[in-house]
Formats: sequence, C-alpha cells, structure tokens
Amino acid sequence: MKKVGKPVFFVVLILIAAFTALSFFGVSTAYGDNTHTYIKGVDDIRWGIDIRGGVDVTFTPPADYDASPEEMAAAESIIKVRMVSQNITDYETYVDDSKDRIIVRFPWKQGESDFNPEQAVKELGETALLTFREGNEYTGPVVIEGKHVTSARAVLNSQTNEPMVELNLNTEGAQLFSEATGRLVGQPISIWMDENRISSATVKTQIPNGVATISGGFDVKGAQDLAEKINAGALPFKLETENFSSISPTLGLGARDAMVTAGVIAFILVALFIILIYRMSGVVATIALVGQVAGMIACLTGFFAPFPSFTLTLPGIAGIILSIGMGVDANVITSERIKEELRNGKTLDGAIDSGFQRTFAAIFDGNITMVLVAIILMGAFGPPSSIFGTIFSPIFRWFGASATGAIYSFGYTLIVGVIFNFIMGVTASRLMLKSISKFKPFKKAWLYGGDK
Amino acid sequence: MKQIDIVGRRKIWFTISIVLIVIAILASFFPGVKLDIQFSGGTIVTYSFNGDLDKGEFQSSIENSLGQKVTLREQNDVNTGATNYVITLNSKSGVTPDQQIAVNTALNEKFPGADIQTASISNVDPSIGRDFLLKSVVAVAVASILMIVYIAFRFRKMNGWSAGVIAVAALVHDLIIAYGAFVVCGFPLNDSFIAVMLTILGYSINNTIIVYDRIRENRRLLPVKTSYKDLVNISVNQSMSRSINTTVSTVIAVGCVCVMSLVYNVSSILTFSFPLLVGMFAGFFSSMFISGSLWTLWQEHKLAKK
Repeated sequence: MKKVGKPVFFVVLILIAAFTALSFFGVSTAYGDNTHTYIKGVDDIRWGIDIRGGVDVTFTPPADYDASPEEMAAAESIIKVRMVSQNITDYETYVDDSKDRIIVRFPWKQGESDFNPEQAVKELGETALLTFREGNEYTGPVVIEGKHVTSARAVLNSQTNEPMVELNLNTEGAQLFSEATGRLVGQPISIWMDENRISSATVKTQIPNGVATISGGFDVKGAQDLAEKINAGALPFKLETENFSSISPTLGLGARDAMVTAGVIAFILVALFIILIYRMSGVVATIALVGQVAGMIACLTGFFAPFPSFTLTLPGIAGIILSIGMGVDANVITSERIKEELRNGKTLDGAIDSGFQRTFAAIFDGNITMVLVAIILMGAFGPPSSIFGTIFSPIFRWFGASATGAIYSFGYTLIVGVIFNFIMGVTASRLMLKSISKFKPFKKAWLYGGDK
Repeated sequence: MKQIDIVGRRKIWFTISIVLIVIAILASFFPGVKLDIQFSGGTIVTYSFNGDLDKGEFQSSIENSLGQKVTLREQNDVNTGATNYVITLNSKSGVTPDQQIAVNTALNEKFPGADIQTASISNVDPSIGRDFLLKSVVAVAVASILMIVYIAFRFRKMNGWSAGVIAVAALVHDLIIAYGAFVVCGFPLNDSFIAVMLTILGYSINNTIIVYDRIRENRRLLPVKTSYKDLVNISVNQSMSRSINTTVSTVIAVGCVCVMSLVYNVSSILTFSFPLLVGMFAGFFSSMFISGSLWTLWQEHKLAKK
C-alpha cells in the first residue's frame, strides 16, 4: 500500500469538517433583500408534502373515456395554468399515458392558514373554459369557445421558419371567426383559459376558412405550450379525482422535528457505542460518519446552487438515520479484522493494512445488495420520468405511475448513504487510521483493539 | 474467546424460529391481514377542532351528509395536545371533493365556532389501489429474483449451492418474521411494508454472507478432519462480534426512530421502523443460529447417505 504521511489525518479531518460546515450551513451572500446562494445548506432542503403539508391528487378522465396522449398532455397543461393562477408554483405533475392518469402534488401555500384543499382540487379538475375574446379584457365579447376548436398545433412558418400556432376550427367556429376577424382587423383578440389570459394577438387580415395562425414572439416551446393549452380548452371531458390526499403543515412539521431529534440521538449513541468498542478506530469511524451524513445532506440540497435539490420526506429522514446505523458496518468489519490481526501478532501498521485490504470484498458485498434494493425502490415508487423509473419502465409501466414520493425519498437516501459510506467509511477512514497511528501517543496496539 | 456450541443447540434455535413463523401465519388469519387504503381503496379523514364535540353527533352529521356509514376514532395530536377525530368510510368507493366540501359545510353548520378543519385526507380509488398493490408485489418479486441471482452467482463460485439455498431460506425466514410484526401489531400493509421487505432483503443477506465466508476460509485453515459441526461453530463464533456490533449500531439507529415516532405519534414512521427493527433482529438470529446449523444438518445428511 502507498505510504500515508503523518499530516494526512489532519488534511482529511479539515476537509470533512469544511465539507460538513458547507453542506449544513451553505454559502450565500445578501445585498439588501437580494440573497444569492452559492452553496445550499439545510435551509434549502425541499421538504416533501408529508412534512410541510400539501395535496397529492390523481386525476383521470371519466371511466368510459379513452384519452389519447395528446389529450392527456392538454389536460396536464390545464392543471399547470390553474396552479400558476392560484399562485402555486412549486408543484409537480406526472402524466401516465398507459393508465390515463395525471398525478399532481403541491405544497401548502406558505403562511396560508385556512387553505381549503378540497376546493383547490375541485377547481383543478373542472372542465376548462377556453374563450377567444375581443380586446384584451376578460369582459370583452366572446368570439369563439373551446368547442369550436378542432385542433391546435405548433408549426414552423415555411418562409420565415418562425414557430407559430395553427388553429383548425369547425364549421360553426370558422363562420364566427371569419365574421369577427373581418370586423376586428388591426385590433387584438385574446385567448383565455377560465379567467387566465394565455395569449393575445392582433388580427392582421380576415380569416375566412377556419384555419388561423398565431405568430410573433414564440420560440418552439412557447408555441407548443400555447397549442397544448388551446387543445386543453377543447377537451371534451372533465377530470375526475381518483386519489386524493392532503395533510396540514402542523402535523408534518411536528413529525419532522421528532425525526430530526431521533437522528441526532441515534448519531450520538452510535458514535459512543463504536468509540467504546473500538477506541481509536471508533473515533475515526465517527469522523467518517459525520462526513457521510454531510454527503447525504449535500445530495439532498443539491449543494452547488445550480443543481436541483431532492425532496426529503419522513421515510427519507428515516433512511438517513438507517444509513448512520448501517454505515458503521464498514468500520466494524475492518476494526474487527485489525483486532484479530493484532492478536495474531502483526505489527500495528501491518494489521491496519491487511484489515482494510482483506475486508474490502466483504464490505463491497454488503453494500451492493443495498444498492440493488434502493434502485428497485426508486424505480417502483418514483415518478416514471426519473432515471430508475425509466430503467424499470418495462416492468413497472403496466401498473401506472405511483403517488408515493415518500418511499422514493427513502430509496434515494439509502443509495446516497451507501455511496458516501464507500468514500468516508472505507477510503477516508483508511487514510485517517494509517496516519494517526504514526503519532507516538497513538502508536499503541490496545487503542486499536490489541492487548495492552 | 469462549466458544458457544451453536450447532449443538440447534433444536432450540429451530424451535424459536418455527414458533415465530407459526405466530406470523396464525396472526394472518386472526386478527387477519389489514390492507392500507393505499392498496384497498377507501377514505380516511382527520378533523381538528376546538373545544369538546359530541362524538355521536359528529359522526351522524357526516353520515347524513354522505348517506353512508362511517366509523369514528379519537386520536391525540401530540404537537397541539388537542384531540382529533379520525373518520373512516366503510365503503371503498371513495368520495369526491364535492362531497367532502358538503361534509365540511354540514359540520361547520352543526358545530359553529368549533373551527372544524380537515387536518388530513386520504382518499384512494380501489382501482388505483389495486394497481399499486400489484406494482408493489412486482417490486418485491423483482428484488427477490435479483437477490436470488446474486446469491446464486456469489455462492456457486464460493460456497456451494447448498449454502445458497439455505441463505435464501434464511431470507424468507426474516421476511416472514418482519411481516409477522405487521400483522401482530395490526399495522395495515402499505408502501412502508414494501420498503421494509426490500430493506430486509438487502440488509439481512450480509450477515449470512459473512458467516459463509468464514466457513469457506476456515475450511482451508483448519485440519481436514474437522467435523462440519466444529467448522460451523468456530466460524459463527468468529463472526459473532462483528455481527453483534453491526446489528447493535443499526438497532440503535432504527430504535431511536421507533421510540421517537412512538412518543410523538408519527404513525407512518412507527409502522415502518418497528417491523424493520424486528426484521433486523430476525436477520441477526437467522444468520448466527439458523443458517450455519441448517447447513451442518444438510452436510451431515449428505455424508450419511454416502
């Protein structure tokens, strides 16, 4: 094995301490009201709705209606528009085409005490009312409605290559639109979903044939969005709620605090236990464990500001605590081996070397099964678009997307725990133990489990 | 170090295991397996309110509004110290948000000033529940198959297939006992149950692998004529302190979660952490006392047949 110098212990220690401080507290600067976050700390963790309260709902078309993927996408866009109009921006939606389901999750609005989840869900699922109105106000006379639109799609202008939205109207719609556009040349017509204005355009010429285009200022995405929303207004069905759960924030926050306390107590007890049993190796294991927890926190917050954070739920916290308990296993296996080698008469240095070398396979084996299990958990209970959801989609797609973000978070903390266990419990521990054992006061075999 | 004659006392270990498995099986029929509404479909609503409300009137005004029977149970909210009423609908068909709004209106008319609020609602359509149950079963099946493939691969090369079969049996043993914790405690089976099953599947095999690796190593180190019984006894005893210490630290961690969720009434975590704790004990027990003993039995049987 490579030689490990004396200062390595302190280098590793300082690195772990710095990493821990960063991942817990983050780095941000504040100029007046503007806070700029460079590194995200625990305050930036996205709590799951089982903690901060919120609504989890599954919508579906009426039982006898078989919706096409386009219709489902249109229905999803109705929900998104309505979310934003209710000032809820922190929502998640998943569409499951094979089962015609739309899963929507959104948190309780901050500072809202008498939020009415039943009402919110009811409004989300209602048939969208799409109207084209004269002028830019909702009070303007209605030109045509959603039922007059047969389809809308994003197209590219064959001459300018500019993205635009093409509308196809039915006969009645074509007549109404022809009349109105003839009258309103040079004036605006606005498009509304419920009471939200989704677009507005100026009439250039009369449109007599029922094929209209809306152009100007779109990128491709913007044109697709608008087409989807217009299609949504033409949807012939109302969404029904198949699944519906809601939890108030007081219940969840109390549970979170209890779990965080459990985590702190568990950490202290586990640390005391391994220090008591393995002395110096236990101290090193505890430092490694701090690094492991910090690594898990960093993976939840996203650490560097541009990375997305990962929702943490109650089972997710339980997963972190479980990883604390299981993470020690690597140190236990090596410490036991070092103890044994010392008793067999090896020198301290030789015992530490062979302790780490001969146990690597066992530790690897122990962790690979947890990784397998965590991946399956994430594949089965995660959103279908997630990486593991995609891997397992041939197996799980027949059963529809699931609505349990809670267990998904558990799988994530487990897998992240294993990864950091390798970095900290194996690599960092070895470096620390090798270097600390070179210092005279720590050069005693009994500190590592040998005889006095 | 003192050696414990583990294989010699195998009758004790087998009896303990058989008794636990029988309890788990019996409890599946009495009191019986409860499926969470996540799987079966149904509605559970928790109401918070101020002051004292008559339970019977509360229940009947909900029943009148919905036109169907419900059951009411009291629950203490540890955070606020207040009492909540938990309503379970007897029908599995679920309610619409419209109906829920009607119930809330009816309740607040009946008990003005009590500030009745829905603290939580859980409403699952039976068809979505069935899908979710199937998906969960498939998740467990896929994990089991992967684990068996892993064990087969790992053991065929290193420990022989008899050890592999016993390792699988030990896993099944641990899963049954963790499942037993659910049914004996009356916890409904839900996504936490699946998470517990999978976690034990991943965790418990490792203790067993450590023991078999010791057996393999000692076979080379110990004299050729060492009996299977001695070989297993020595190996299990050597891995004992590692297994105990790993199990203790995991049990400390899960135990803290379990105790805190019990004290603070976090039922979603209690129903998850307690069976996990039981499963971890079962995993320790089976790897230390069952799998080695079973293997000895198998090998001796093979010798006798020759």
